[in-house]
Amino acid sequence: MRLTVKPLKQKDAGRGLAAVDRRAMEEMGVENGDYVVIEGSEGRAVARVWPGYPEDDGRAVVRIDGQLRQETGTGIDDSVEVEPADVQPASSITVALPQNLRVRGNVGPMIRQNLSGQAVAEGQTVPVSFGLGPLSSMQGQKIPLKIASTEPSGTVVVTDSTEVNVSEQPAEQIAGGQPGGEERQTPDVTYEDIGGLDDELEQVREMIELPMRHPELFQQLGIEPPKGVLLHGPPGTGKTLMARAVANEIDAYFTDISGPEIMSKYYGESEEQLREVFEEAEENAPAVVFIDEIDSIAPERGETSGDVERRVVAQLLSLMDGLEERGEVIVIGATNRVDALDPALRRGGRFDREIEVGVPDKDGRKEILQVHTRGMPLTDDIDLDRYAENTHGFVGADLEQLSKEAAMNALRRIRPELDLEEDEIDAATLEKLEVTEEDFKQALKGIEPSALREVFVEVPDVTWDSVGGLEDTKERLREAIQWPLEYPEVFQQMDMQAAKGVLMYGPPGTGKTLLAKAIANEAQSNFISIKGPELLNKYVGESEKGVREVFEKARANAPTVVFFDEIDSIAGERGQHSGDSGVGERVVSQLLTELDGLEELEDVVVIATTNRPDLIDSALLRPGRLDRHIHVPVPDEEARRKIFEVHTRDKPLADDIDLDDLAARTEGYVGADIEAVAREASMAATREFIHSVDPEDVDTSVGNVRVTADHFEQALKEVTPSVTEETKEKYEEIEQQFDTAEPATDEDAVGRTFH
Amino acid sequence: MKPTQQLREQDVDVRRFEYDDGAVLAADFGFVGESTVEIVDDTVIVVADGQQYDVELNGDAQAFMKNGVLTIEVSA
Repeated sequence: MRLTVKPLKQKDAGRGLAAVDRRAMEEMGVENGDYVVIEGSEGRAVARVWPGYPEDDGRAVVRIDGQLRQETGTGIDDSVEVEPADVQPASSITVALPQNLRVRGNVGPMIRQNLSGQAVAEGQTVPVSFGLGPLSSMQGQKIPLKIASTEPSGTVVVTDSTEVNVSEQPAEQIAGGQPGGEERQTPDVTYEDIGGLDDELEQVREMIELPMRHPELFQQLGIEPPKGVLLHGPPGTGKTLMARAVANEIDAYFTDISGPEIMSKYYGESEEQLREVFEEAEENAPAVVFIDEIDSIAPERGETSGDVERRVVAQLLSLMDGLEERGEVIVIGATNRVDALDPALRRGGRFDREIEVGVPDKDGRKEILQVHTRGMPLTDDIDLDRYAENTHGFVGADLEQLSKEAAMNALRRIRPELDLEEDEIDAATLEKLEVTEEDFKQALKGIEPSALREVFVEVPDVTWDSVGGLEDTKERLREAIQWPLEYPEVFQQMDMQAAKGVLMYGPPGTGKTLLAKAIANEAQSNFISIKGPELLNKYVGESEKGVREVFEKARANAPTVVFFDEIDSIAGERGQHSGDSGVGERVVSQLLTELDGLEELEDVVVIATTNRPDLIDSALLRPGRLDRHIHVPVPDEEARRKIFEVHTRDKPLADDIDLDDLAARTEGYVGADIEAVAREASMAATREFIHSVDPEDVDTSVGNVRVTADHFEQALKEVTPSVTEETKEKYEEIEQQFDTAEPATDEDAVGRTFH
Repeated sequence: MKPTQQLREQDVDVRRFEYDDGAVLAADFGFVGESTVEIVDDTVIVVADGQQYDVELNGDAQAFMKNGVLTIEVSA
């Protein structure tokens, strides 16, 4: 019966499956797993029936992957004839390997494992992944095998009892066998090779495939079919890949312009080349012209200095929508700097639609990982879901890099067994090649999201355990930062907005920065750290731009924690100083609008620390901006004990040390002081040890050194508390002010803004 | 535990399709050879490639395996 071809989900691709909708399945009398013959305009293929997707029910749809589409010579939305097939199990098959593949030993078992369950016919070319995954240099990650002969003849299915022989002749010398099995190339990029961009792809297809396949639709409506699509988005998100896939899947002439290539030093030649490309496309219509990095040849005319650029832009404009009919030529442009384009290009009739290709979300990342690990021999313990969750801000290119690195790690393991001098690789070694969980973990450590590279900081290895005491503070931070990311459904149910920002204040050395480090580590988010003064720039406007860029990056890579250490340096009260030509004030204003402006700040949390909360502009402290104020207090006795515990955890302590006693005697010591005490005590012990022992015996006797109570006595004498009673009281006062007088400061802030 | 989860724990890549009148679980073992599927009480026992996989279900279910594709139909 005739069914319409649709694409298969990424997950099901590459296994010779055909998802047939259930009603069609009933009508044909086939069940899941049965073999069916799919006959398209240019060939036939055999596939196993897979349950149809619920959304297809009753729509007479068959979903097949790019390879089957290629074999049958069909595209999406074409119709094909699908019939139940009678397929014999193969007792033996003979395959021919391509000439340039150098493998020694018996590859039969590996090929059988790869082909198991697939239906093949003589003369057919089947792509097989040889365990090297994306490392193999072959196009499309797979090696094309040719089926030289089958036993019995006709279409057969490979089972685990099929004997696989490798032909002496290379694949190139075997002519196509039976009808319908002539030489075909493996598809380059198909729709299944694009993960996480379903909506965007749908839009592009609507704009490009529809007018090419059914121009009459547009005639009927009395409108001109679309002429161009502009893809824009951060680097590495798959713009070029999408264009390639579209060109591959629709049967159109494809030509591309790479910006710098058409530039010529001779007068008028650059435009000439541009015209030539379009002429060539017109002659071969229907055609797609793809202009990669279009911003390089079509920058804003007012801002370009060169005469050539201006003429090229003008030429492009008139080519795209000039007096002459362009016919069935569609232009796809790709850029990551959409605002640098000449505005005249961005109107209807030229680029009719602009499609943003964004950073993928969790589900998108999973699909992308599935695409890139499809040909990889993964061990069973790898959970791609987890990696999809852990890779915030990764674009497609980063994920590809991740799987490539993981595969490289696996390769490194078998490197010693490889003999590079030899021409061929032992098949047994190839078979052993497997990518493990550990490989992925190692790879993830080395790769950071490309959009964040500029501001990326190594996430510190500090956990909540490394923070002694401060239980209350920790809990409140966890509420503000970890909960919204971990339980979004609860927040949605309660109709609650996550806190936008947290201000931590307290005397120096109480552990504010340490807490921020712990959050960075525990929050599973991207972490951007800003040191206040580095934002300042000598040019007018550049300092504010710095703030804008930070938040832009944070948005693009959400969920993100933006950390401002010592925020009082950039967010001082406005209206006080006049010496610096107001840069400070403008930076504060920028910060205010970023935190709570028209542009929504989604999944971005700002953490700021300061010793002087009283100096910070009050507008910044109102709810909706830095709405949680957390006092990180001078530790009490119990907290001090815990801090001592943290700092002496790995030190060799003598038995006579009583941490409770130490905690009781260190009133007024903050975390940093206690760390200093512990350090001084061990230093004293070390000093004693080194002076008393012969340098040659150091190695043998170092295990006996203990830090004793005496050493701590010495240390206590040297380190004095850094916080006086007075300071402590001052901070407590501030805390009270923040707790009770919030409405008052609020009013104040409004008043100030309107002056 | 949900049936899909049970199968995933046994390293079977399974897909769940929700229809109006029930759900279908499908898994591709990518293998054609000796295989049996039996339903004992509420448990589907699959033997494929010398390995046994158990799936517990609640409610009526039908299961069969063909050319390496395991199908479990669960009525709504």
